[in-house]
Amino acid sequence: MLKFIVRRALWTIPVVLLVVFMTFVMMRQIKGNPFQVTERAVPVSIQRNLDRKYHLNKPWYTQYLYYVKGVFTADLGPSLVQRNQGVNDIIKEHFPVSLKLGGLAMLWAVVFGIPLGIIAALKQNSVFDYAVMTVVNSGYAIPNFLIATLLIYFFALKWRAYTPFPTNGWGGPSSWVLPAIALGHAPMTFFARIVRGSMLETLQQDYIRTAKAKGLRWRRVVGLHVLRNSLIPAVTAAAPLLGFLITGSFIVETIFGIPGIGKYFVTSVTGRDYSVTMGITIMLSLIIIVANLVVDILYGYLDPRTRDVRT
Amino acid sequence: MRRRYLWAGLVTVIAITVASSAAAMSNHSQKAQVLRISVGAEPPSLDPGLATDTTSANVLFNLMDPLILLGKAPALKAVPGAASSWSVKGAHVVLNLRHNVRWTNGQPVTAQDYVWSWLRTISPELAADYAYQFDGIKGATAYNGCDPAKADCNALKAKVGIKALGKYKLAITLASPQPWFIQQLSHTSFLPVNKAAVTKWGNKWTEPGHIVTDGPFKLASWKHDASLTLVKNTKWRNASKVKLTRVEMPIIVDGTTAENAFRAGNIDIDDTGVPPVDIPSWKKTKFWKVYKSLGTYYYGFNVKNITNVNQRRAMAMAIDRNQIVTFIAQAGQVPARGFTPNGIAGGPTITKHSSMPATSKLAQAKALMAKVANPKKDIHLYVNNSPGHVKIATAIQAFWKELGLNVTIKVQEWKQYLQFLGPPPNSDVDVYRLGWIYDFPDAYNGLVLWTCDSGNNNTNWCNKKYDGLINKATRTPNNAARFKVYQQAEDILTGPNGDLPVMPIYWYTFHALVKSNVHGFFVNPTDNKDLTKVSIK
Repeated sequence: MLKFIVRRALWTIPVVLLVVFMTFVMMRQIKGNPFQVTERAVPVSIQRNLDRKYHLNKPWYTQYLYYVKGVFTADLGPSLVQRNQGVNDIIKEHFPVSLKLGGLAMLWAVVFGIPLGIIAALKQNSVFDYAVMTVVNSGYAIPNFLIATLLIYFFALKWRAYTPFPTNGWGGPSSWVLPAIALGHAPMTFFARIVRGSMLETLQQDYIRTAKAKGLRWRRVVGLHVLRNSLIPAVTAAAPLLGFLITGSFIVETIFGIPGIGKYFVTSVTGRDYSVTMGITIMLSLIIIVANLVVDILYGYLDPRTRDVRT
Repeated sequence: MRRRYLWAGLVTVIAITVASSAAAMSNHSQKAQVLRISVGAEPPSLDPGLATDTTSANVLFNLMDPLILLGKAPALKAVPGAASSWSVKGAHVVLNLRHNVRWTNGQPVTAQDYVWSWLRTISPELAADYAYQFDGIKGATAYNGCDPAKADCNALKAKVGIKALGKYKLAITLASPQPWFIQQLSHTSFLPVNKAAVTKWGNKWTEPGHIVTDGPFKLASWKHDASLTLVKNTKWRNASKVKLTRVEMPIIVDGTTAENAFRAGNIDIDDTGVPPVDIPSWKKTKFWKVYKSLGTYYYGFNVKNITNVNQRRAMAMAIDRNQIVTFIAQAGQVPARGFTPNGIAGGPTITKHSSMPATSKLAQAKALMAKVANPKKDIHLYVNNSPGHVKIATAIQAFWKELGLNVTIKVQEWKQYLQFLGPPPNSDVDVYRLGWIYDFPDAYNGLVLWTCDSGNNNTNWCNKKYDGLINKATRTPNNAARFKVYQQAEDILTGPNGDLPVMPIYWYTFHALVKSNVHGFFVNPTDNKDLTKVSIK
C-alpha cells in the first residue's frame, strides 16, 4: 500500500506540470488586457511599465519558466488585479472558507443522503420510499441558487424573528447553516439515489440470499454484507464531489456573500488575472488528485479484490 | 429541597434575561453612532498610488485628508482640505498645507510627504495605472515613460515639477496652465502615502495594523472579500465634527444579497446597487435615493462604416431616450442632450446647441435617412455581455428598424470587447456601446476622449478643428470663456450641424437604499461619500 501511495504521489508532479502548461497556454490564448479594467484606455507607456513589472514583456517560454520555478518554491506570484495581494495570500485567506463550506455541505449530504437511501431501499415500494424518492428527484432537479434564495426568503427574512440565520456573511455557526444546506442539497439527493439503487441491487445478490438462508439475523446481513457492498459507488463518487463542492461553490458563495475561493475561479478568468487563475487551477488539480488517491485507498478496504491489483 | 433549587435557578435565569435585554435596550436608546454600509466589491487597493476605482476611492477618502475637497454641485468648486489655501499663476501652483494634519503615527504631514508620494506614483517602477493623472505636471510623463533598464531615470525624476518649499509649502509646475488642476487634486491619486509605512511593509503596507493614514477614520479591520471596519480617528484635525464612531462595511457583491441584508436590517445603507428588476418596487419606498453623477452612457459610430453624417443623425434622432431611461435603466437617469453631462460646471451652456432629442423624432429621422444616397442597412451593434446593456440594445434595434435598418446585436465578454474596439475598432464594428465616468469635474475630461490621438476614441473620427478647440481649453483659465470653447467643441460633436461620431444616450445617476435614521448621507457627482457628515438619529 505504501508503495502504491508513493508512486501515486510522484505521479502528481507531471500531472501538475501538464496542468500548469495547459492553463498557461489557454489563458494566453484568450484576448484581453488584465490591466484595462474599465473602458479607460491604458496609455502606452503605462502599459509598458505594467508589462515590465509583471514580466509580461518577456517571451512566453521565459514567463512559463519563471512561473514553474515559482510553483516549486511555493510562490504563486502576485495578483494582477488585487494589487496588494499575492496569489498565496488569496488562497491562504479564502481557501479555508470554501473548504469549510464544502465540508459542511458534504456532511449534510452524507448524514441525510445515505440513511435516506438505505431506508428507502429497505422499505422498497412503501409510502416512505415513494415520499423519499419524490423529494429526492424533485430536489435533484432544483438548482442550488433557487434553494439558496428560498432558504434566505423563509429562514432569514420571513421568519427571522424565530430563526438565528443571517441573510449573508460568514461569521459564527448560525451563518454556516443555510449555505451548507443550499450547497449540500443536490449531493444529498444524489447520495440518496445512488445508495438506494445499489442497495436494491445488492439485496438481490446470491450471497445475501445465502446469508439469510444460513440463518443470520437480518440486521447483521444488512450491516455487514449489504451496506458494505452498496457503499462502494457512493464512496467512488464522494471524492470528486468533495473537490467539486470546495471549488464549485461560486454561486452559493455569491448569494450568501461568503468570502470563499469560488469567486476567484470566475473573476480571475473574466479579469484576466493570469497568476490567480493558474494558482487556483493548480490547487484544484491537487485537491482532485488527493481526493482520487483517498478513494483508491478506501476502495481497497471496502473491496479487498481490488487491493492486490493495485499494490 | 430539589424543588427549591429549581425555583432559584429559574429566577436567576429570568433575572439575567431581563437585565441583559434592558441593557440592550438602553444601548439602543443611546443611538450608537455606528453606520453599516454595504460595499459592492473588494477594494482592489487601498494604496492611493495604485487605486483606480471608486470602491477603493470611497474607503480612501474617509481614511485620508485630501488636499482639496469639492464644494456643492454643480460648480463643485475647490474647497480647502488639507491645503488651507493656494495660489495659481499661469502654470505655477503653490499649495499651503495646514500645520495640524497628522499621520496616525503622530508625525505631521508635510510637503515633503507629498513630493515623495507623487514621485512614487509617477515612477516607472511602481507602474501605477493612474500615473497619467500626473501628466499635467511638467516632466511627469517623461519620468513615467523611462525604462530603468535602459536609462538613468533619476535625471528625469529630478526634472518633475513637484517641489517642497519649506515644511508646509508645496510648489507644482504644470506643463501648461490647466484651469481644472486644483479640482483635480481632489482625486485619490493625489492623496499622500506614509513613507515609513511603505518602506517598512512594502506591498503589504495597506493591511490593518500596518497602514498609516491622516484622515477622519482609521482602518480597524479588513477581511478581504468579507468586510472592512473603520473607526473614528479622535486625533484628526476636525474630529469634533465627526459623529460616527465606527463604520462597518460588509463587502456584498450581489445586488439581491445586499437587498436582503437591507431588508433584514443588517445594513443601514445599501450601496451595492439594486438589481434593475427590483428598482420599481424600491422606488415606492422612502429608502430609495438618487444622486446626480458625472457620466455619460453612449453609443459610438465607426465613421469608416457609417460614413454619412445624415445616417448617423437619423439613427440618433430615431431613438426614444425617455423610454430607455424610464423603462429600462429606471434609476432616474437623464436623457442626454449632448455628451457633457448637465451636472458638470457649465454643463447647460456647453450643450446649449446639442441636438439629441429626449423623445423619438421619427419623421425627421426618416427625412434625413431619405437624403442618404447609399445608406448602410445592415448594422452590427456591439455591446458587452451585461443584461442591462443588451436590453437597451434590443430597444434601439427596434427603434432603428423603423428606419429600415437591419440591426444585428453582437455581444462580447468585457475584456475581449475592449480589445475588439481598439482604437481603431475591428472593421466589423458599426456601432458600439460604452460609458464614461468623469475623473475630475471639468468638461475637458470627457471632451478630450474624441481627439484624434485619444486612446478612448474608438470611432475612427478625427477632426483637427475639434482638437484645436480642446487644446485651446487647456490655455483658457477663465471659466466662462472656457465653457464657450467647450460649447464650440460640443457643437462639432453633437450640435445640429455636428459630425456625430458619438450618440449620447443618457447621463448616469447613482442610487442607494438609505434607512430613515441615517442623516447627512450624500453621494457627490464624482461618487464620493463623505462620511464625516453622517450621523445616526
